[in-house]
Amino acid sequence: MAVARFDASIMSLMQGYDARGQSLVVPVLTLTGASLDVRTDDADDLLEGLERLGNAEVAPVRDAEQATRLAEVIARTGLDPWDAHVAAVADAAVCPILTLDAAKWQEHARDLDEPLHFIQITDPDEAPGGPGAEQTDPDEAPGGPGAEQ
Amino acid sequence: MSDRKARLTITVDPRLSAYAEQLVAEGRAPSVSAVFNDAMEARIQRERRQRRLWNEAAERADPGKVARMMAHVDAQAAALLRGE
Repeated sequence: MAVARFDASIMSLMQGYDARGQSLVVPVLTLTGASLDVRTDDADDLLEGLERLGNAEVAPVRDAEQATRLAEVIARTGLDPWDAHVAAVADAAVCPILTLDAAKWQEHARDLDEPLHFIQITDPDEAPGGPGAEQTDPDEAPGGPGAEQ
Repeated sequence: MSDRKARLTITVDPRLSAYAEQLVAEGRAPSVSAVFNDAMEARIQRERRQRRLWNEAAERADPGKVARMMAHVDAQAAALLRGE
């Protein structure tokens, strides 16, 4: 997760959506994976600071049913537990995944019963091919941005 | 805000209460109240540090780039809602 790497643009974007009142769901295992990736006290502070955003909600693995559902998502997608939790939360909440890596989610978009939808976070001016170069390919219409990856 | 101590009644997990009492018995804290006072102060400091790091990020970010990224996200979200 870009937050653990102190990506100022991504953090500012998240603050911007928070200021708008946009709900953001952060699957808790995403935080675990990001913390494992970086392994510094500052990174952990940044990740814990997500909870200070007024409209961000950390989604836990709450009970046995959610734990076994997560296992099913891991088995069906082959994703690691951190990303699989993102997929499980997005699938349950019917919300798109905000991601820096659209290609990864494109590959797994149809692994579950319902398609996963994702939104790529990128600066169109910096994307290969210039403004508007990359597009997502959704089939159905879910709600607003939610699960954060 | 007054410096006078506020009297609170709280319930804590038995292991935390036992640890606080152990610190007092070992002379590492003046009182159980002081242990919980310190714990709350530490939490305040940690949350302040987290907010400061996030605020620093906002100050470092390029507003133009962030605005373009948000517009791009919004456009994709709108396309999803339209079923495109």
